[in-house]
Amino acid sequence: MTVLPSEVDPLVIVTPDTASGAGFLPGLWVAAVALFLLAAVAAFGPNRNRISALLSTAGSLCALALGVYLLAGGAALSGSGGDVLGFSPIAFRYDGLSGVFLVAFGASAAAASFSIVDEPARSRPEASAFPLFLASILLVLGASTAFSFLIAWESMALLSAFLVVGLRPTRAVVSAGNLYLAMTHVATAAILIGFGLLAAGSGGSLDFAAWHVAAPSLDPLTRNLVLVLVFVGFATKAGAMPFHSWLPRAHPVAPSHVSAVMSGAMIKCGIYGMVRLMIDVVGGTPDWLALLILGIGAVSAVMGVLYAVMQHDIKRLLAYHSIENIGIILIGLGSSLLLASHGSTALAAVALTAALFHSINHAVFKTLLFLCAGAVIRATGLHDLNHLGGLGRKMPVTMVAFGIGAAAISGLPPLNGFASEWLTFQGLFGAAGAGGGFPFARFAAALAIGALALTTALAVACFVKATGVAFLGLPRSKKAAEAHETSVPALAAISLLAAACLGLGLAAGFVTTSLAATVRTVLSADPTAASAAGSAAVTSGPRDGGAATYAALAVGLLLLVAIAVISIATMARVQARRVDTWACGIEPKPAFQYTATAYAKPIRLFFRRVLVPEREVRVEYQPGTAFLASIHYRSEITLLLEDRVLKPAHRLSLRGADFVRKLQGGAIQLYVAYIVVAVIALMLWAR
Amino acid sequence: MNINDALTTIFLAGLQLIAFVAFAPFLTATIRRTKARLQSRRGPGLLQPYRDLAKWWGKLPLESSASGPVARYAPAFVLGSIVAAVLLVPWATARTPLPGWGDLLVLVGLFALARFALALAALDTGSAFGGMGSSRDVAISALAEPGLVMALAGVAIAAGTSDLGAISAFGIGHGVGLLKPAHLLEMAAFALVVIAETGHHPVDNPDTHLELTMIHEGMLIEASGRSLATLVFASELKLAVLAALFSAAFLPFGAATEIAPLPIAFGLIVGLGKMLVVGQALALLDGSLAKARIMSLPDLLGLASLLALSGLGIQVLLP
Repeated sequence: MTVLPSEVDPLVIVTPDTASGAGFLPGLWVAAVALFLLAAVAAFGPNRNRISALLSTAGSLCALALGVYLLAGGAALSGSGGDVLGFSPIAFRYDGLSGVFLVAFGASAAAASFSIVDEPARSRPEASAFPLFLASILLVLGASTAFSFLIAWESMALLSAFLVVGLRPTRAVVSAGNLYLAMTHVATAAILIGFGLLAAGSGGSLDFAAWHVAAPSLDPLTRNLVLVLVFVGFATKAGAMPFHSWLPRAHPVAPSHVSAVMSGAMIKCGIYGMVRLMIDVVGGTPDWLALLILGIGAVSAVMGVLYAVMQHDIKRLLAYHSIENIGIILIGLGSSLLLASHGSTALAAVALTAALFHSINHAVFKTLLFLCAGAVIRATGLHDLNHLGGLGRKMPVTMVAFGIGAAAISGLPPLNGFASEWLTFQGLFGAAGAGGGFPFARFAAALAIGALALTTALAVACFVKATGVAFLGLPRSKKAAEAHETSVPALAAISLLAAACLGLGLAAGFVTTSLAATVRTVLSADPTAASAAGSAAVTSGPRDGGAATYAALAVGLLLLVAIAVISIATMARVQARRVDTWACGIEPKPAFQYTATAYAKPIRLFFRRVLVPEREVRVEYQPGTAFLASIHYRSEITLLLEDRVLKPAHRLSLRGADFVRKLQGGAIQLYVAYIVVAVIALMLWAR
Repeated sequence: MNINDALTTIFLAGLQLIAFVAFAPFLTATIRRTKARLQSRRGPGLLQPYRDLAKWWGKLPLESSASGPVARYAPAFVLGSIVAAVLLVPWATARTPLPGWGDLLVLVGLFALARFALALAALDTGSAFGGMGSSRDVAISALAEPGLVMALAGVAIAAGTSDLGAISAFGIGHGVGLLKPAHLLEMAAFALVVIAETGHHPVDNPDTHLELTMIHEGMLIEASGRSLATLVFASELKLAVLAALFSAAFLPFGAATEIAPLPIAFGLIVGLGKMLVVGQALALLDGSLAKARIMSLPDLLGLASLLALSGLGIQVLLP
């Protein structure tokens, strides 16, 4: 790592680790940052959106290129610059692990930026904050000292909060924004304390590299405390249960391209932080914490998807799916930690590859889905699935893209989501088998297998619902019937993301191979152990020898050929006759169709123990007759954490505050009395 | 891979595909025949499913005026994924016809793809029955999935790999010693899941056309012509694949462990026999149990998950 003397220059100086053949790397980084800053300025200039959006697209593509280069085994990029108040250098270091998340960030941010080229922004400050938000994520992913990390981290939090709330918020939006701000600062506080402990343990250094050296000599209690604090902080940012409450509230009120980047890239910074701090810098996660991560992952996955199925606001539904996918990533991470600490390095590599690959995949398909949701909302002005329907006729490209994203997030072959979930399962099989160490861990892994299976099946249910109710059948409202396809740049963005879902799925073997070097470095495993033959692997072509294999390209092509042949066979026929849908002899109406709420009913009832659904049907008659005047139907589920734990706790704390207020009477005599009592008590105690 | 191996693979894959395609409707016919006998009917002839398919294939299709490309292309996705699944499950031989292509999770994924396509197509026509069938099907599958995957995970963990060919070879190698309590529990769980996945009593009635009870049939209600033929054939084929998966994972005995004419012929006959036995068991259920209320299905499929988890638990706690 090149560390420049801090007196040299107050500007940030970027130098690559090894000069050979990597001369353009600092250029890419500088270009990305500069383009984001220019985009922020351009938002105030003429033709504000178009230029600003194009500049941030270019900046994101630079970040993507940087990520791909680092991932492909390029030399790390590091640099440092001016001391801040003689306190700590601002230093950055981008390595393969940063590269993984840069790829996720770059793809998500480029598509989201490009999708708004033709869309008016809510306001100039918001249009300007968006590229700054992107720049802050870029800096988070490379910060190599506590000081630079926290500055970037906090900028990211504040800018995203501003983007969620906007300039002219409604009361509901302000409440969502406040919750988000509060929770993100609790997260920062936890991380800050963790950092403080690490700095104290390494002689006051704020450098991650120094922490890495000092970590083994920390006493176990401090180290575990650090790990827990850092985990809680990053899990809150990632939106894992039970730290998720902000996520389903913030997403529906944010503009769609902001939700796309928040869900696709920002919450991944939580995962990045975990891998960076817990595995790379500190290391030595105890088994109980690994099991806790596995458990939190499984609960987030199952409950996230279960709540998602219950939603009919399209963006809240997608927000709950982010919780689910973070859960899947944490399952991979937890099983990797377990396997690594019990000597199964090859399987630990499989599980960590799964977590990293799924992070990239989720960035791609969740950005795609949020941008499609944005297109739907722009075309109809509606968030509620129950008022949509039949959009596929008016928005065919959006429908196909959403369908591909839906299949990918549901983990269907041959798309990218399947490949990473396959690897996650293999990690769990390993942890439940010989690799898991002690019996309880193996049983926990066995339970997680069931949880992950349930998650994928519920995701299929949820996305059949979302796709089918929004895009298929007959329109359920006038606005839905009058929808129109979205702008060309947005269509280009979602088409490319849909192609990426298929491409990353078919090339999954190539992607996992590219991840191998990074995974080895993070696990600090020697090359032979991590690529041991006989371990599970996603490959391109078939692989003999009885080891678990998913030949992504081969299976994908087999599937596509089979589908094509059957399509041709079934389509080679005379023109079909058009008739109305059978509705038992009467004219079919849009109201006969299953709504999103109706579609979820079997699942709502099957899982009523955890969802605790409530239903209210109110029938009103015209006065004095038996004729109906109106029927009101309300169906709600109970959010166990919020409604049963947080709200009572909130009430309790308010009551406590009321009590404390009584002590604070406002009379000066009372305060003097308190002081006297306190002084006497202290004197007695110190005697 | 040398030319000999390539030819062997092509031969075995072709053999398996032809055998499954040719035999799947017959398997359905035997189930219907037994069910009819149990109900004191004669029942249709054993060639009736073939005649039905041929009839639909030649008919002028009717398309709903509400539906679009999803309903039109979904049948190809459904059948395409089941056909791919046929080639990834060991049957006459202990090795998969396409060795090293995909494991049991890939099979589960292919079934999910078929379900996704069919459930979407059912929503495309704007029919209430389609929505009903679709919403129930995905919900029941969600209940069945943990049992399915955990049961298969059990045999995968015992064999040390999730490759089905290696699992079959492992099972054959162990002989009767394979049938430990954990294995039997997982087998029972898988059997319950097969009932749900193939839509037999007490989960669904494959022969019903009573609107309010349909699940699988509800999704097909607007399909006609070649689309209907494709979807019905896909469900017949899926039954055959699930039967083959059952035998490959839990009772692989009889499958050929070496690639030679005689063992393969023997494996073929044993494979067909095992499929017929699975079919007859389903027919027996159809004939002897009433269809359960949909709200009691969580109990049944929860039982499957519990059995699978017990099997898996015994296996990991007492290795």
